[in-house]
Amino acid sequence: MSETNPQDLPPAREELAPKPLAAARAALDPLAVSASGARLAPPHLATLDVTVLVPITSPRAEVRDVVVALGRELEREGRSHEFVLVFDGVRGKAWSDALELAAQHGDKLRMISFENPFGESVCLSAGFEISRGRVILTSPQYVQIDPLELAPVLAAIDAGADFVTPWRHPRVDARLNRVQSACFNWLIRQIIRMQFHDLNCYFRAIRREVLAEVAVYGDMYRFLPVIAHRQGFRVVEVPVRHLKEWGQSGFFGLGVYVRRFLDVLGVMFLTKFTLKPLRFFGSVGALCSFLGLAILAVVSYQRLTGDNEGLYGRPVFLLAVMLLVVGVQIIGFGLVGEIIIYTQARHLREYRIERVYE
Amino acid sequence: MKSGTPVDLSIVVPIFNEAPNLRLLHAELATALERVGRPCEIIYVDDRSTDGSLEVLLELRAADARVRVVHFRRNFGQTAALAAGFEQARGHVVVTLDGDLQNDPGDIPALLAEIDLGCDVVAGWRKQRHDGLVLRRIPSWLANRLISLATGTRVHDTGCTLKAFRKDLVERLVIYSEQHRFLPALAMGSGARVRELAVNHRPRRFGKSKYGIGRASRVLLDLLAILMIARFSHRPLHYFGLISLFFTGGAIVFLFMSTVNYHTFELVKKWWQFSLFIFFMLLLLVLYFVLLGLLSELAVTASGMHRRRVLDRLVSRSH
Repeated sequence: MSETNPQDLPPAREELAPKPLAAARAALDPLAVSASGARLAPPHLATLDVTVLVPITSPRAEVRDVVVALGRELEREGRSHEFVLVFDGVRGKAWSDALELAAQHGDKLRMISFENPFGESVCLSAGFEISRGRVILTSPQYVQIDPLELAPVLAAIDAGADFVTPWRHPRVDARLNRVQSACFNWLIRQIIRMQFHDLNCYFRAIRREVLAEVAVYGDMYRFLPVIAHRQGFRVVEVPVRHLKEWGQSGFFGLGVYVRRFLDVLGVMFLTKFTLKPLRFFGSVGALCSFLGLAILAVVSYQRLTGDNEGLYGRPVFLLAVMLLVVGVQIIGFGLVGEIIIYTQARHLREYRIERVYE
Repeated sequence: MKSGTPVDLSIVVPIFNEAPNLRLLHAELATALERVGRPCEIIYVDDRSTDGSLEVLLELRAADARVRVVHFRRNFGQTAALAAGFEQARGHVVVTLDGDLQNDPGDIPALLAEIDLGCDVVAGWRKQRHDGLVLRRIPSWLANRLISLATGTRVHDTGCTLKAFRKDLVERLVIYSEQHRFLPALAMGSGARVRELAVNHRPRRFGKSKYGIGRASRVLLDLLAILMIARFSHRPLHYFGLISLFFTGGAIVFLFMSTVNYHTFELVKKWWQFSLFIFFMLLLLVLYFVLLGLLSELAVTASGMHRRRVLDRLVSRSH
């Protein structure tokens, strides 16, 4: 958590700055200590029904719209709530709006700001660490989902869900985006064998216990429903009305696709093989070695029977030997993975108990 | 058994979709435990069954105060169920058995007698198995031979769930993934005294087996890992060195084949360049595995696992 530095603010807003800042600091103070030293706000601090957590990554974020719309719905639902806005290395208009809102809402709206962008996962963790709600509702930085959908989402939590993941249906963004998104989600479903339709929407309601147990880092926020499900939490998908989409439409850069693919690979590996890395590396390695051995057997047989040129001159022989060596090396990686997991096994509990009937 | 009551013996039974067997199993357990005559608890670990096993278990719990039921959030597998049972167990001795009635609870007193003689683990040995020969018994025999060859445990049947453990050991043992098959080997790695005892094995009555032949390759890979964990966890470099040694042996053979005078060995004549090539590759692997071994040493050191008290990690006897 970085300090909110008045000098960094646009001059026009300076006269606004001191009072709300002091209020925000005062609200943060007891928690700010624990956020720098200890990790989580202890459970007894969960005094509210809902914390609305909004990661803000653009100075054009519609902070005011989000706060007003969700605030009104939460008021109507009769749930005590607070807002936590996490500014991920941005200021600008969104920041000054937030300051004004903080002045109006006092303790009910707090901000964290980072000097540099650290990504949504860090925003989520940081916001959670100072949150006081029993349910954390993450929202995009603009009104992407109809605020009226808040009621069914929270109703699903009341009905026993630990995690509500939204499904924008029908979608209103560009067709190409929808196709790409559908492909991504289809791929995830195939790999992880779970029936989630829409992992790219972050209008999520998450019970406090989930975030206390699931460590979120890197690009994990995207796959949070999958990870929560793996840990045995009840994840429920709720169809929601899609109002508008902010993101870029059309094709993304090549880098985006590569990164997305790597994310999928990482999640697949971590969800299935965290505790048995050798199963993964071993299978891949054994496949390579087996292929190499088979080719080697064939070319050796040809060499033995025919009177052809030396094996060292045949590219396929080189390929076979390479495959063999790479295969064995990959198995070696798996062994190192096993030793890493073994040394940490005491901290990685595999199972989650729902209840012990004494 | 309500918390607070001292318990001497904990029975841990992992349950996954065994509803038709449960009542009979519990009745048999109750008879066996009467013969034992010690204060005990029975922990059924319900691995998120889908056939209503939990309801049956809760009924049993209502009728018998010794019963505790652990209910998982989702299906986590047999190893996790055993680990959870171990974690919950309060007795000085923990006995595990299958929920499918193939193990005979009547064997429990004999296991306990062995524990009282000073063993840390008593493993059941299904001398007469009642499973399919080709799909179950032959692969199992092979796996057991491999396991005892690799880990040096002289146990005929590590796959039998019917086992008795001293609580001291259970507290020191961390099991995950599918390591329940290798418990005797892992226990020996923790310094336990392991014995085995021939036990009764009965054919399956209701339900069907949850294992098939498909696990063979997985068991082989697991074996490779267990060997390292059980015997080399405090010096992984030696394990990787051992693998390197294997490749070094190969390298020497191929080096010899490529340099030998091929006027005397006609066969080698055709193969010397081939051998030289393989020699280089094997040399690469030797180097590579030594480096991986160093990396593993780093992982072990960084984990700080050896900073924990030895007596908290290993089973020992003070005299």
